[in-house]
Amino acid sequence: MKRTFLIALCVLTVASVALVLTLPGHQGTAPVLFWVTQNDPVKRETIAVFGQWLAQQGLPPVEIRIDNTGQVKNGTTGEPKALIQGASGMGGDLIDVYLNQMELFQATGMLTDVTDMAREDGFDFGRTYPAVRSDFVIEDRQYGFPRNVDVTMCWVNRDTFARYGIPLPPHRWTIREFEELGRRFIAAANPPGSRHRVFFLNRVWPPTLRRSLGLSTFNETLTRCTLDDPRNVEVLNLLYRWTVEERLLPTHAEQEALAADATGWDSSFSLFASGRFAIIYEGLWALIRLRPKGDLHLAAVEPFNGGFPNTEFGTGAVAIYAGTRHPAEARQFLRFLASEPFNLLIARSSDSLPPLPAYAKTDAYRRPPGHAGEAEVKDAFAEAGRDIGLAQSKSPFVLPSITFRIDTEAIEEVLAGRLSAAEAARRTTERINAEIELRVRRDPELARLYAERLAIQRQIEARRAAGRPVPAAWLFDPFHLAYYRAHGWVEPEVKP
Amino acid sequence: MSAGRPVQRWLTGMAFLLPSILGFCAFTLVPLVLSFAMAFTDWDILRHNIFHHAPVKFVGLENFIRMFHDPQFWRDFGNTFFLMLGLPFAIAGSLVAALLLTRTGRRRAAVGPALVLATLTLVASGLVLLIGGMPEPAVWFLFGTLAATVLVAGVLTGGTLYRTLFYLPNFTAGVATFVLWKKLYNPHSGPINLALAPVLDGVAAGLRAAPHAWAVGLPAVCGGLGLLIIAWQARRLRSEDTDSGPVATAAGALVPAVPLACGALWLGSSAAVAVGVAVLGCGVVATVAWRRPRRYGPPLEAAAGLGTEFGLALVLVPLLTLLAAGVALGASLPVLARTGFEPPSWLGDYGWAKPALMLMALWAAIGSNNMILYLAGLSSIPVELYEAADMDGASPSQRFWHITWPLLAPVTLLISIMGLINGLQGGFEMARAMTSGGPAGATTTLSYFIFIEGFETGRLGYASAVAWFLFVLVFVLSFVNFRFGNRHAND
Repeated sequence: MKRTFLIALCVLTVASVALVLTLPGHQGTAPVLFWVTQNDPVKRETIAVFGQWLAQQGLPPVEIRIDNTGQVKNGTTGEPKALIQGASGMGGDLIDVYLNQMELFQATGMLTDVTDMAREDGFDFGRTYPAVRSDFVIEDRQYGFPRNVDVTMCWVNRDTFARYGIPLPPHRWTIREFEELGRRFIAAANPPGSRHRVFFLNRVWPPTLRRSLGLSTFNETLTRCTLDDPRNVEVLNLLYRWTVEERLLPTHAEQEALAADATGWDSSFSLFASGRFAIIYEGLWALIRLRPKGDLHLAAVEPFNGGFPNTEFGTGAVAIYAGTRHPAEARQFLRFLASEPFNLLIARSSDSLPPLPAYAKTDAYRRPPGHAGEAEVKDAFAEAGRDIGLAQSKSPFVLPSITFRIDTEAIEEVLAGRLSAAEAARRTTERINAEIELRVRRDPELARLYAERLAIQRQIEARRAAGRPVPAAWLFDPFHLAYYRAHGWVEPEVKP
Repeated sequence: MSAGRPVQRWLTGMAFLLPSILGFCAFTLVPLVLSFAMAFTDWDILRHNIFHHAPVKFVGLENFIRMFHDPQFWRDFGNTFFLMLGLPFAIAGSLVAALLLTRTGRRRAAVGPALVLATLTLVASGLVLLIGGMPEPAVWFLFGTLAATVLVAGVLTGGTLYRTLFYLPNFTAGVATFVLWKKLYNPHSGPINLALAPVLDGVAAGLRAAPHAWAVGLPAVCGGLGLLIIAWQARRLRSEDTDSGPVATAAGALVPAVPLACGALWLGSSAAVAVGVAVLGCGVVATVAWRRPRRYGPPLEAAAGLGTEFGLALVLVPLLTLLAAGVALGASLPVLARTGFEPPSWLGDYGWAKPALMLMALWAAIGSNNMILYLAGLSSIPVELYEAADMDGASPSQRFWHITWPLLAPVTLLISIMGLINGLQGGFEMARAMTSGGPAGATTTLSYFIFIEGFETGRLGYASAVAWFLFVLVFVLSFVNFRFGNRHAND
């Protein structure tokens, strides 16, 4: 028995040593960087082009491997695996960070502050769209560079509208127009006596709808949640009416169920192509999924609005892990994201708008090889990014993932008929403000920032009460900045 | 083992044990102690990790106080207990499965009828497919073919196939099962709703064809059947041959409570609830007072026969609730049928999400280790007892209630305790994979709550506090169950 035990121990030891010696870092001379991202064709091509770019620049080769097990799956909730790995010192060298994750990851200290190196290497935030700055810049410090810049628009299947004899929605349309067209469409597509199988729109993004009515999740300085507002009550009532009563939209469960029919989001695109969704609310990347569905006659229109046209504008940034053993190589990768080869790759792929705005005017973006007829929709996206795109409202005093979870639960309670819209709005506000209070109370540094912001908020309110404009620098919420500018409530900005 | 000096032998033994001890210390003991300490601190992964070294502050009982004031905690606490309501059904299901699987001796005689039944099922399924075309009838065809195959193969191979089939859920990976059930529950393309849709259409058509007959007839039939069952229960409790003591009799008399309350709620009358409670209270007192003295044997203990009443309640309560629904909602069914009936949105509807998860858990629990334990328990019951009962002319029901059920009591107790522990700690994987805790938090359990607090928001101190509260809860409930259940199990 003792011998067996010793033999087993020796075999395991030898196997462990062999495993360590065969790890990527021990093979070859090129350093290996792990990139926490999705393993899709665009990422694989990015790695290939990066290799060519390094060679053109006369830089030593770097091997990049995709780690998609800890990938950030979507931009709406926190991603525990990436967070836990990162905070415990085991993160990938490069990490894709979407919408709500940036604040979470940055707060842990797991992301490298690249402000200075970005300025030196030419990938500072000034090179991309100003509207998405807050997605990778926190308190004036930069923590990555956009890999893609995405605008969300309403994709319209012209054939579906033609089939039911319903006119196409205008490029810019109102909530009233949406309801009117939607009701007509639903009546035509779901005749009496049949089960409801055709929907007008796949989903609505409530913050966009609220913003269109002049309301943000937070106040100007992001110190308080402001959803206990009649405009939010109106939005919740509209969502209930459209989803439960008029059935213009599927319920969340139906969306989930439709998504379960296929892999991930694919079902939405299949249903859109087959005419069961007249409109889908998605980013430019939808083109990648729609192209294989056949020769669709597509249009892209703005999300319907309640007076202030706007849409989601966000970025998936690549950040450098603070614990990376290859900071110089990771820095090269971020530099590559601001290069021409990478921007042309994104332009061709239609994954999103290219990070550098100038490339949205190239033929590679507007008329990529084999898809010359896409210029109209591509231009619509570029135009929306320039004119109405707004980054999410994210408070430094509460994690965006918490805000999202609380807001989603309240909306679901309204749709389930368990809470009135007014009650849901009140509870959402109370819960988010309680989270802010808790975090500020436990973090002295945050408490200092909070006190500063509160002082500014009081000044804003005093000025607004007196009918005087406020400095743009006081407006930390991207929506408020755009809204104040649109209404002429901002002091004239002096350009240096 | 070879003889040697005691120290040498001790060292050899320890060398063998060391890997296990080290693993236990590293992955169980140290995290356990750490989590206990963390429960009294403000440990937040955002501020306390390898990059940030803010001092960890001792906050005393603040996390626990916050937990008791947190509405989300109480909601998820309620969800956990609601989902555990399925536990008795799971235990009953395991027992029924085990009982069925022990009946293997009559397979030869069953071959003929099984073949006839299987052929009829196949022909009927094929006809449905031919008449109806694809795809909904195809689901019926699939189910029919599957049922026929299982029936024939089971009868031909004896209990072995059934035992394997029933045990399948236990060695299927959890997430795979959840994904499968998610597909089954799909409101648009799931086989369950595809099968339900034509049935509901038929029911709606029938209701529309003769609305008045249904509006009056259904409540009358359901009400009559309900009263018959209640009368049978009362007669049984009053019997001189009963093994139930006064407490068990009172518990048995309480069986109509849930159906009465549900019926009153569905009728929307709070007065009816009050009247129901009053009638029920009187009924309990009357039944206990009315019961006849036992004909044979010594007087019964107060709590004797509780297990029997509990087991019977598992069958009677759902049945009576269904009948109460017929009485309360029967009259309005024809009105509802005008627009047709939609199959439920299983995982998306607030009201259906929890029952849908319970149904899936029930399916998994029936063929779980519980069934194996019951099979082992059944094999240990002496055959002589059944033979003696047969000679005394005992019916199958009497054989079960007076021999099988009491002798399986220790197994039932073990299964109950294990089920309780798993129920309180569980629900995370299922909810995470199937509903993400929704809709509106309807399926978020305590373990999911701990996960969200610990790993999505990073508040490890608070999450640890909730985890330790859960531990205390599991400990207390298991202790009570063991302490009091064990007494009756060993009677």
